[in-house]
Amino acid sequence: MTTIAAPLPRGRPRGIDLSRPVMLGLAAVLCVLIVLPVSQLAWHAVVDRDGAPTLENFRRLWSDPAFVEPMLTTLTLATSVSVACCVVAAPIGWLVARTDLPFTGVVRALVMASFVTPPFLGAVAWEILAAPNSGLLNQWYRSLTGAGTDEYLVNVYSMGGLIFVIACYTFPYVFVLVSNALDRIPSDLEDASAILGGRTWRTAARITIPLALPALLAGGLVAFLQAMILFGSPAILALPAGFHTMTTKIWSLFQYPPKPGLAAAAALPLLLITIVLLRGQQWLMGRRGYTVVGGRSGRPRPTALGLLRWPALGLCLAVLACSVFLPYGALVKTAFSRVPSQPVSFDNLTLQHVRFVLFEFSGTRLALQNTFLLGVLSATLGTGLALVVAYLSGRRAVPGHRTLAFLATAPVSIPGIVLGVGLFLSYTRPPFVLYGTLWILLIAYITIELPAAYQQLQSALKAVHPELEEASRILGATRLQALGHVTAPLLRSGVIAAWCFVFIGTMRELSAAIMLFTADTKVISVVIFDLNESGDLGAISVLGIAMLLITFAVVLLVNRIPGLGGWRPARPGG
Amino acid sequence: MASVELAGLTKRYGALAVVDRVGLRIEHGQLVCLLGPSGCGKTTTLRLIAGFIEPSEGEVRVGDRLVSSAGWAMEPQKRNMSMIFQSYALWPHMTVAGNVAYGLELRRLDRETIRRKVQAMLATTRMDAYADRYPADLSGGQQQRVALARALVVEPETLLLDEPLSNLDTNLREEMRFEVRRLHDEYRYTTVYVTHDQAEAMTTADQIVVMNAGRIEQAGPPEEIYYRPRSEFVAQFIGGTNILRGKGLDGRHLSFAGRALRCSGADVPAGGTIAVSIRHHDIRLLAAPPPGAENVLEARIARQVFLGSVRDYLVEVADGTQLRVVAPAEHSIESGSPVWLHLPPERCRALAG
Ligand SMILES: Nc1ncnc2c1ncn2[C@@H]1O[C@H](COP(=O)(O)OP(=O)(O)OP(=O)(O)O)[C@@H](O)[C@H]1O
Ligand SMILES: [Mg+2]
Repeated sequence: MTTIAAPLPRGRPRGIDLSRPVMLGLAAVLCVLIVLPVSQLAWHAVVDRDGAPTLENFRRLWSDPAFVEPMLTTLTLATSVSVACCVVAAPIGWLVARTDLPFTGVVRALVMASFVTPPFLGAVAWEILAAPNSGLLNQWYRSLTGAGTDEYLVNVYSMGGLIFVIACYTFPYVFVLVSNALDRIPSDLEDASAILGGRTWRTAARITIPLALPALLAGGLVAFLQAMILFGSPAILALPAGFHTMTTKIWSLFQYPPKPGLAAAAALPLLLITIVLLRGQQWLMGRRGYTVVGGRSGRPRPTALGLLRWPALGLCLAVLACSVFLPYGALVKTAFSRVPSQPVSFDNLTLQHVRFVLFEFSGTRLALQNTFLLGVLSATLGTGLALVVAYLSGRRAVPGHRTLAFLATAPVSIPGIVLGVGLFLSYTRPPFVLYGTLWILLIAYITIELPAAYQQLQSALKAVHPELEEASRILGATRLQALGHVTAPLLRSGVIAAWCFVFIGTMRELSAAIMLFTADTKVISVVIFDLNESGDLGAISVLGIAMLLITFAVVLLVNRIPGLGGWRPARPGG
Repeated sequence: MASVELAGLTKRYGALAVVDRVGLRIEHGQLVCLLGPSGCGKTTTLRLIAGFIEPSEGEVRVGDRLVSSAGWAMEPQKRNMSMIFQSYALWPHMTVAGNVAYGLELRRLDRETIRRKVQAMLATTRMDAYADRYPADLSGGQQQRVALARALVVEPETLLLDEPLSNLDTNLREEMRFEVRRLHDEYRYTTVYVTHDQAEAMTTADQIVVMNAGRIEQAGPPEEIYYRPRSEFVAQFIGGTNILRGKGLDGRHLSFAGRALRCSGADVPAGGTIAVSIRHHDIRLLAAPPPGAENVLEARIARQVFLGSVRDYLVEVADGTQLRVVAPAEHSIESGSPVWLHLPPERCRALAG
């Protein structure tokens, strides 16, 4: 053997060390995405028109009834939704995860269907169903009981209606947390109670439910948060009823003449409450008592319901009727009916709404184009960014990787409407004038979806043991080769999932878009919102269904692209 | 030749030296075991040799090549090494044959050669019947053999193994120990083998390096480590032992439980406290006091356990110290009976430090 190369310079890396520039570059990107809008928000909240510091905005916020009332409304709304969601989701979660309820697969799928329904579309569907005069339910009620034309059974344009509709599309959050927790409670714990003589119901009450309680509380917090930061449903249902929530109030401050300082001040409490609630949720989910639940014994043994199985299934289906069957039925019916309020018949069937939306209404094509373009771009860029950050932080590849991870997850605590205000303030004046372009929407979408994509990829990456990469390195692969041969194929399904996640999220996003769109940069959700103001429910139904179909088709397509299909699902060695 | 040499090798995380001034020379073709308790820095040492991390101080040389020095490490792919990971790190998206062929493909061998070599290696590791399976469908032992095949097929100069058998059950582990040794003898690469199982180290290694808290406690052939441990840690860690503490009398004697014991090993400084190690089975149990023998202590049986081939006694000497004695199983001595212990002087090893 010959001697290769004289000793190399000591303590000096060969080649250029890229880790620092990469880290700094990413940190800069993330700062622009997150720190800039938030700091603009804070700044504008505490200065007046001329840039002099002032607390006037906050004083008005706390004293003017026009602001105090929406705040109280929002708190009432969020609390009620949270309670309602827990009351509905906990039993369903338990039935699905822990009992011999029939058709659990179907129930789970339908809950997921309500999960992915854009809340504003659900709100429109419930307008069709339960508006006091034209609502289908009220018409049936009148025709069944012969009540007068000014009588109605339900009125969706009310606080009660708003709570109901928001809860319909928020309870899946609680369901997911609760049923996951219940899925993971090892049956040993229940068996231990049974062996001591605990009856089925007693075991459930004393063991199972207390163990799942932290998840339920966390779910309640998330539901509260969702109800608090939602813009679409209150804008659709509360404004006609004549009251405001915080989000609609912030939005109205941007109607002419815009009052950005006041809007910024009004957005800050939302931001702070969100941060506090998310902290609370993390604390609940991370407590030792809860993580113990991560048992490893086999499938939990279901509790036998006996004859109660069928009423229990009925209960689940009744809830799902409110969030899936009725709304989608109403949307489909309206999309293809000449007169929505009349019963389904051949005469009443029409494609006029389809024709109108797809060919006549000038806004649609542009909006479809914009939405699709933004969806694909945000999904691709957002996933790419999340992937790089997840890799660097997961593999601790650069100094400061913790900061990167923190920045990537931070937007989770910025409500869409708050981000919208922040971005509006950041990009309407030099040096960055992006308002009026698609760029500002792209930035908004990437920022909003970054945490979800990051978390998804981070956990996907955790499943790829670093030794898998190292095994490739030691056999002669460069870092890039190892990434290409080993890490990339193993992450493929995670990346696709993250991509779809961002794409779906972008397609249905309304609360940031509503602050940032201009005539040329409308997206579908904004068009639906506009059409709602002009009362064109048929067109909305067509557009809503089209939006869901496009989403569905793209997700299906992405999962089918040859070469992106992912490898056989196999346990990594061991 | 591809010897591996570590000189003053140190790795610090923050202020903590996880590997602390490790110096070691491994001759070509030798199999060296790094043995030590969990967290003593074995994996870190191995990863320093592989080049996954840079040393804070010191050097690694392979043959005459400097491959790592303070703050610098030649990239792992240029070192012509192979490694078997604790998790096996088989790629779940490649078949067994694909896993094994990977290193050869990186070396740009032609298709036919690759096929032939993979075939031969799978035959050697008795995995040829599984070439088209995916790792997830294999048992632990089979996965282990695939990991071996993948590491060996590239004919590395140096083979690194990180607790390769720790995930296997006892029977398989014993079988695979000999397998590892057999393959090593067949190919004669320089091997560094990390384990915390002393039996594994004893059966496979030419040299054992006992590590503790980032440092080398003692290095040498298995017999030397076993019979002539230099420190209490090594004596305890390898084989288990009794430690007797007493005052040094002169160069060769110490006072223990009211008697003078002669011992071998390190010098016994007069007046200082000294530790002496004697293995459980080196103490002889006698029912009656032997006439005039040196190194005999009076004791009482505290308890005894029948272990099949041997009996395990716990005995208590005059000053209350308890010693473990392993004796033949045939005759049993009741608990509470008085006995006499004979501690052969050549088995009493005085320990340094
Ligand atoms: N990247 C790191 N940063 C900080 N500390 C580390 C790092 N890697 C290892 N350590 C610490 O170094 C010590 C030695 O770790 P190492 O993995 O080398 O132990 P080991 O001897 O292989 O143990 P085991 O038998 O459990 O595998 C441990 O205390 C560990 O916590
Ligand atoms: Mg280790």
